[in-house]
Amino acid sequence: MEKDINNSKDNYELISEKRTKRRTMYKTIDTIMRGLFKLSGLISALMIVLIILFVTIKGLTVFLPSYENPVDLGNFLTGMRWRADQQDYGVLFIIINTILSSFLAALIAFPLAVLSALMITKIAPKRLSGVLTTIVELLAAVPSVVYGVFASGVITSLVDNIASFFNYTTFGGNSMLAVVLLLAIMIYPTITSMAVVAINAVPESHELGSLALGASRTQTNFKVVLSSAKSGIFAGLILGLGRAYGEATAVSMVAGNAFVGPTWNPFGITRTLTSTMLSGMHETAGVDYDIRFSVGIILMIVILINNFLVNYIKRRIESGE
Amino acid sequence: MSENNNTQFETAFEVRDLDLYYDTFQALKKINMDIPLNQVTAFIGPSGCGKSTFIRCFNRMNDLIEDCRIEGEIFHHGVEIHDKSVDVVQLRTEVGMVFQQPNPFSMSVYDNVAYGLRCQGVKDKNILDEVVETSLKQAAIWDEVKDHLNRNAMKLSGGQQQRLCIARAISLKPEVILMDEPTSALDPIATTKIEDLITELKKTYTIIIVTHSMSQAARISDRTAFFLLGEVIEYDETDVIFHNPADSRTEDYVTGKFG
Repeated sequence: MEKDINNSKDNYELISEKRTKRRTMYKTIDTIMRGLFKLSGLISALMIVLIILFVTIKGLTVFLPSYENPVDLGNFLTGMRWRADQQDYGVLFIIINTILSSFLAALIAFPLAVLSALMITKIAPKRLSGVLTTIVELLAAVPSVVYGVFASGVITSLVDNIASFFNYTTFGGNSMLAVVLLLAIMIYPTITSMAVVAINAVPESHELGSLALGASRTQTNFKVVLSSAKSGIFAGLILGLGRAYGEATAVSMVAGNAFVGPTWNPFGITRTLTSTMLSGMHETAGVDYDIRFSVGIILMIVILINNFLVNYIKRRIESGE
Repeated sequence: MSENNNTQFETAFEVRDLDLYYDTFQALKKINMDIPLNQVTAFIGPSGCGKSTFIRCFNRMNDLIEDCRIEGEIFHHGVEIHDKSVDVVQLRTEVGMVFQQPNPFSMSVYDNVAYGLRCQGVKDKNILDEVVETSLKQAAIWDEVKDHLNRNAMKLSGGQQQRLCIARAISLKPEVILMDEPTSALDPIATTKIEDLITELKKTYTIIIVTHSMSQAARISDRTAFFLLGEVIEYDETDVIFHNPADSRTEDYVTGKFG
């Protein structure tokens, strides 16, 4: 009997020893994992820092007196002409072009996207809504160069037809309008899918509350559902605008790359920050190559300011109502 | 069940032979009931007995549920509420509803209360101001929110949110207010406030309330209906239900033998 007790005591000690061992093992794993997480966070942060640092340094060198053929920073920031052949690099009109065409694209795409999102989430019967969701996802997955081919083949001729209707001529349809339409199509799926997610996150009880107050379906959708989802919808707008500002390949295919600006005529050719950076990049060297990094800095600043502004508007709307 | 259809009180609703099906499942069985005007009627019973389903019949919220089929009649001042001539929007302005979970909209306190009227097309700022103030006062929340009517309603406490939802329902000056377990998500103090409010509101409104709490039904209601598996087992004055029930199942439930 006594032996038994001793035995079980031994067992107990054995078990607790095992537990201690296991606990130390778990602790070691925890430490290792924490290190791994830190490392991956550090690497991704480092990438961003390196990219910004590299682009900034490279972009600023062209303005330094030590540069072989330095560009005047003041002229760069305020200039309305971009003539590489004359060493005349003015980026202001390009900034205006970029903001204008992205803004107009958002103006077209945003209401369409929000209404489509409402259609998908609230109005369409289940099967149709599934089909629509798939279409939006497919649109989002189309590579931008394919959009570019489509734009230079279809949108340009459409724009050309519209222009001749108004007695205008175009450079084969390459124009600001073509850029705007192209960008509208490209950012539509981005905004739509974000809006769908935001609308689906609105609790059903809000809808029921509205309907129980004698609101119609339409009133409920617009006043309660959309107003509750606006935060997420604005996030979609930011992503969409970001894509519009940053889209290079497809835009370059229809922009036409004007030398002067800003372009106010929708049928006139335009030049955006991205098209300036991209077109002819591999056939050039020297200032004309290096200055593209300066344009890159400008593009990053434009996107940054844009995000601040949209966030500011969002906050104003949220607190103002 | 009270078989006496020659009621001694004025009625807000008369329910006749109401059956309700979710697809093939029958959730309510042959319900007959007269709901008195300007009194508090409570529905009690164990979970899944159909009391919440039943309360949603009065403002036709069940219309929103697919596969939900209703047979039988509900008369509201002589008009059958499922009749084609009845505008469901109009019905819902006359029959307000307060839900189990407080569900204020993500907008300001003011806009929450003004919402119903605005949906009816009222734009006059003076009218809206006045209705917002009187509704919030009636719902006993005015003093707590009058200084920040522009604050988002989601920032209020749960009990305040629920009283705001009551104010929102009152803003349309309904005749009836349906309350589906309005205090089940609240703490005891907030619950007491809502119960006091209900006692106050019944002077002006007809109130139908679903409750899990038998003591709550006993405290605030004039008449009580006991539901079991989709049937009304007994419907009578609250005193009778709690102290002298006719059916042994009612007695077992109110004395806590099951539930």
